[in-house]
Amino acid sequence: MAGSWETVIGLETHVQLRTVSKMFCGCSAAFGAPPNTNVCPVCLGLPGALPMANGLALQLAVRAALALGCTVHPRSVLARKHYFYPDLPKGYQISQFEQPLSTEGSLSYLSPDRGIATAAIQRLHVEEDAGKSLHDRFPRQTAIDLNRCGVPLIEIVTGPDFRSPQEARAYLLTLKQVLEYAGVSDCDMEKGSLRVDANVSVRRVGQPELGTKTEVKNINSFAYVEKALSVERDRQIALLEAGGKVEQQTLLYDSKTNAVRPQRAKEESHDYRYFPDPDLPPLVLPEEFIAEQQGLLPELPAKKRERFVEKYALSVTDAAVLTADRAVADYYEAVVHAGSGADAKAAANWVMTEVLADAKDHGDGLRVPAGALANLIGLVRGGTLSHQAAKRVFSEVADHGGEPRNVAEALGLIQVADAGVVTGWVSEVLSEHPTEVARYKSGETKLMPFFIGQVMKVSRGKADPKLAQRVLEEKLAA
Amino acid sequence: MSDPREALASAKATADRLVKAKRFNACLTPVRELRKALVTQAQAAHPSGVLYGMPVAVKDNICTLEFTTTCGSKILEAYRSPYEATAVAKLKAAGALIAGKTNCDEFAMGSSTEHSAYGRTLHPFDKTRVPGGSSGGSAALVAAGAVPAALGSETGGSVRQPASLCGVVGIKPTYGRVSRWGLVAFGSSLDQIGVLGRSVHDAARVLSVISGRDPKDATCEDRDPLRLPNVPESLQGFVIGIPKEYFPADLDPAVRLFKELGAAVREVALPHTAYAVPTYYILAPAEASSNLARYDGARYGTRFDGSADVRALYRTTRGEGFGPEVRRRILLGTYVLSSGYYDAYYRKAQQMRALIAQDFRNAFDRGVDLLFTPTTPSPAFKAGEKLDDPVAMYLSDIFTVTANLAGLPAISIPIGRIKGLPIGGQFIGQAFLDDEMLEAAYALERVVPATEEA
Amino acid sequence: MSVTHDEVLKIARLAELEVSEDALPLLAEHMSRILDYVAQINAVPASEGVKPFVPGPDALRFRTDEVKPIPLAFGPETLAPAFKDGFFLVPKLGAFEGADS
Repeated sequence: MAGSWETVIGLETHVQLRTVSKMFCGCSAAFGAPPNTNVCPVCLGLPGALPMANGLALQLAVRAALALGCTVHPRSVLARKHYFYPDLPKGYQISQFEQPLSTEGSLSYLSPDRGIATAAIQRLHVEEDAGKSLHDRFPRQTAIDLNRCGVPLIEIVTGPDFRSPQEARAYLLTLKQVLEYAGVSDCDMEKGSLRVDANVSVRRVGQPELGTKTEVKNINSFAYVEKALSVERDRQIALLEAGGKVEQQTLLYDSKTNAVRPQRAKEESHDYRYFPDPDLPPLVLPEEFIAEQQGLLPELPAKKRERFVEKYALSVTDAAVLTADRAVADYYEAVVHAGSGADAKAAANWVMTEVLADAKDHGDGLRVPAGALANLIGLVRGGTLSHQAAKRVFSEVADHGGEPRNVAEALGLIQVADAGVVTGWVSEVLSEHPTEVARYKSGETKLMPFFIGQVMKVSRGKADPKLAQRVLEEKLAA
Repeated sequence: MSDPREALASAKATADRLVKAKRFNACLTPVRELRKALVTQAQAAHPSGVLYGMPVAVKDNICTLEFTTTCGSKILEAYRSPYEATAVAKLKAAGALIAGKTNCDEFAMGSSTEHSAYGRTLHPFDKTRVPGGSSGGSAALVAAGAVPAALGSETGGSVRQPASLCGVVGIKPTYGRVSRWGLVAFGSSLDQIGVLGRSVHDAARVLSVISGRDPKDATCEDRDPLRLPNVPESLQGFVIGIPKEYFPADLDPAVRLFKELGAAVREVALPHTAYAVPTYYILAPAEASSNLARYDGARYGTRFDGSADVRALYRTTRGEGFGPEVRRRILLGTYVLSSGYYDAYYRKAQQMRALIAQDFRNAFDRGVDLLFTPTTPSPAFKAGEKLDDPVAMYLSDIFTVTANLAGLPAISIPIGRIKGLPIGGQFIGQAFLDDEMLEAAYALERVVPATEEA
Repeated sequence: MSVTHDEVLKIARLAELEVSEDALPLLAEHMSRILDYVAQINAVPASEGVKPFVPGPDALRFRTDEVKPIPLAFGPETLAPAFKDGFFLVPKLGAFEGADS
């Protein structure tokens, strides 16, 4: 059974870089334009056209390489990779082969199976994207859209370092996070700015050699990563257990049937006939160029997590939630620093609950300014607002803006902390619930929340619950 | 020229001459279209341009907005480019008139213009002979007196060789001097747009205009356009190197000639010369196989319909759209790049190229300013003579390919006749010292007999 | 260096070029002849230290990242042999099934 087999997975990830124009021409790299409207002689592969390299793409590629701990090579070569396909207009893709931009990096991630694991990054190189082929739009024909052709990509190749589909997914989520932090891509699998192909093989536990690997493509979401790899692993194991052999081939994952099928009828494997592109001199990166990108690297997620735990006395889990997204992490710190002695813990709770929930419903927007949230937290801390009331103020500020105190006043939510007024409400409640008073006095102290609730009701939420509780305790003790 | 009436007159006269030259099959543009385009251009041209009113024909592998760009191939039979080459834009900005597209060997692969899908071009002085190639159409038109200058392109000598066979001037600039944007690529690390002209001056003026930096071509050097040198009195002060590998017989006539011009003459050795043609015929087809991968009938050009699936479309389009020479070179190129053969052929050829380039550097480092050699081993050969053996055809490039491999400037000027047929001699200059080379060419031109018109 | 018919067909497949049965013998002969001819570069001993020579600039120049497309005098629909609803059309891949890429 599966217990005696070991799964070995390597991943090849293609990530689109956050540039406005394409890798080798000035066409827009934006997603979603009407077909074949972001095209020019270069990305159409017209006769006589030549590539012009995008400087920002190289900067972002170097930044990504540094974020992944790679050695950036000051001299690398762009090479042509030849194959014929409808969405590859030149009949070759400009990529890198023998002398890539960077090699030998690593990325640590939390493996569900074995704690912190490290994946080796064998190489990270630059290349251009191909266009899109749509096979089902017209009968008997393939429709081609070249808008995407030429968009800058980095290809990130790991070693065969993952031992389960779950690990592969965990690595990918961490990779996405690191690249988002570094600001090189938005890593959106739905929009295709992050794509992954996997190499999968299995071997008997203890067997030193690797089994024959297959390539799995067409995995379109992080969830499908796990499913596709599980399906292929199971297929290989079943095949081998039945006495068969795994054939080296490319398989496409079909999410509708949750199965894999061969991409092509049996054909020779590709001979890409790589050679250095004679239209492009070598990529020479001066020291200052690389140093500049190093300087532009922000504090990366793992480091930030550690720092949050230490500086804000947060649990590892809470720190992880707060640093999952760089924008949220920055926001959290802004809230803490804006507050006058704002409680880092309170800020953490607010961000993890109200802020993130609101963001989820509003396209990831952090609608309440950090300063305003800090004020709000201060108001609760100072007893001016109850937590419940503060939540209402939060929604109000999120929808309509405004200064929290003013909004609270306008909504009539300012807590009453006047002992006299609160005593009045307490007296009213106690006089209306003589049975419960008697029960409390005979030992049912668990009724305290009931009384507090009643005081809140009678005061229309305005009573300071802590004060109410003190007064209640006094009176009921009497 | 500065008067619009002169420009218009030039346009009309050019059209008439091009009509007369139709018999050579040198110009691919239909007469009516040509005449109309010339007149329109004459009316729109800038009178202050340095080439105002000058008609310049353009080889059909250079993209123009006017006329089609077929590259002498069926696969681009009715292809109209939606953009123009930088060289063409510069010509127009200088007031020149684009005088039609000229016939060439298909995708610039050939040395006789017999490999065009639109018929061979005839030698203007002897219609049984070839004008050379691949820029045969451009050379023939200039030799016939139809235009004073024409753009051609070189990968292995395709401007200088036809210039030599037709008795006109042909210049190949230093690699990176003229932008390749809009030149349909054949061998990218070898290709350069060159100029054919009635005289050194005509060709040089055009070269000066089309040269200079272009951000659209990453292999084009960031330099100002070529400045024209003064015509020198003599070659006093020049040291001319005569490479013995290029002169199978007697060096004396050449030595005598240059000494008469006041130059110092020195014999030099370029020991790897014999390997130049084999090296070229590995590198050029390799790059060609890659550059021609885009012609598949999918997005532009000719498509062979009725294909059941896209693979069949590619194979049929390319099988039928390309002629035999192009198919041969694509297969050759694919072979030398394929795994298992890459190291023995392509990588080795790249090293050979380095040795050949080093030979030239060594010669120049020893105090030689320019080299002088014959341009072609013999004058124009008969049509059909070299079609059976591809290697025989390749050997016509024996004296020209070295300059392309080394990226050096070279110029062929007519230096006489052999049995009544023109023959050229060439200077090979140092990288980016094109102007020095032109000086020497001016001087030599003054003492050799001019070509007769067809 | 003799190139067999099979090798020619294999290369032709890689190059997506149709080669007819009749053309095959002559093609194989020509290719063998040419490959024999060019193979003479192997007479020069392998010089390990020789770096390949490529003319042109030593380093790639970079372009500013901005949307500044090269203008086309006319659009893809005019260039294309087959075009519909904004897409280039080609016959569907046959046994070569791909997923939408």
